[in-house]
Amino acid sequence: MTAFEEIYNSYAPQVYRVCFGYTNDADQAKDLVQDTFIAVWKGLPGFRHQSQISTWIFRIATNHCLRAIEVAKRMPAAELPFHLADTPEESPEEKLSILYRCIAELDETERIIISLELEGLPQAEIALVVGLSSGNVRVKIHRIKEKLAQKLKAYEQFR
Amino acid sequence: MNNLDNLKAIWHTAKTDNLPTSKEVMRLIGKFRSQKLRNKWLVIILSLLLFAVIVAVLYIVPFKMATTYAGGAMMALSSLLLAATNFRSLKRFNQLEDCSNLDFLAFIEQTRKNQIFYYKRTMVTIISLCAVGWLLYLYEVTYQHPLWCIGIYSAAAIYLAVMWFIVRPRAFKRDTEKLNATRERFENILKQLKSYETS
Repeated sequence: MTAFEEIYNSYAPQVYRVCFGYTNDADQAKDLVQDTFIAVWKGLPGFRHQSQISTWIFRIATNHCLRAIEVAKRMPAAELPFHLADTPEESPEEKLSILYRCIAELDETERIIISLELEGLPQAEIALVVGLSSGNVRVKIHRIKEKLAQKLKAYEQFR
Repeated sequence: MNNLDNLKAIWHTAKTDNLPTSKEVMRLIGKFRSQKLRNKWLVIILSLLLFAVIVAVLYIVPFKMATTYAGGAMMALSSLLLAATNFRSLKRFNQLEDCSNLDFLAFIEQTRKNQIFYYKRTMVTIISLCAVGWLLYLYEVTYQHPLWCIGIYSAAAIYLAVMWFIVRPRAFKRDTEKLNATRERFENILKQLKSYETS
């Protein structure tokens, strides 16, 4: 197995989840994963390990997300509860779908930061990916979590 | 569900088995290599080829008039300028990948400025050089035949006028709309990041 294939197998699922978190669209997320790894393949011979390989890959992935012109299936908040009102118990898929929808209602940079946080990246690494200081990222994550919690609560109230 | 640990657990339930395998991605990369940047490379190669052909013709054929050499030189220069501009643009994109979101947005903004500069200055220079060069180059062939001269220069003038006054403004308008939409989107994202910095 080549170095690229190893990298792909290790990081593709993580990159996919982050791209899915940003776009809330499985097909678009898949396309973004492909674009990301095409860029990784191109850049791999010149990668000088100045940053961790994961930081480098997530930088590429999130930059591709920002570049994606149309972010599909972002639903207006008011429409959401009607689709969910008659669901007695949430399945894991439904929970995931609600989470993605709530994330989709956030600003672009907030979506990137919370996706990386949920993926389990250390905050220092998120700061390197986004280009903010660690302090700013910590504050931001705190605020985004509050925002997300409010959105999730709003869903639960409609159930 | 609003507990972060729960959210992390939910987040990781996303199915990733529909992703292409590494082998499939390698196949895609093979396709990408021949497609993605092909147009830019094609422009560079064709411009350089045109430059070489013009220089060779000017060197080999014993023209009598200075206007022919001046015209040829201007056309050769415009091809070289086109190749250089596209090469510089390719080089910028190749150096892009390892940068944070903030740097990336700055890069996109600079690209937008470069594109506007290209439309307003570089493209005007290239087209002017090529058009004037072309008209000068044709003079030696036509000056002894007034009818040819009128016919060829009229056709050339009509062609250049259509390109300059109809095709170019339309392309510029279309691309400006795209660029403005991109600018608005990226300004908004940049504002989000800057607000984090100042808060």
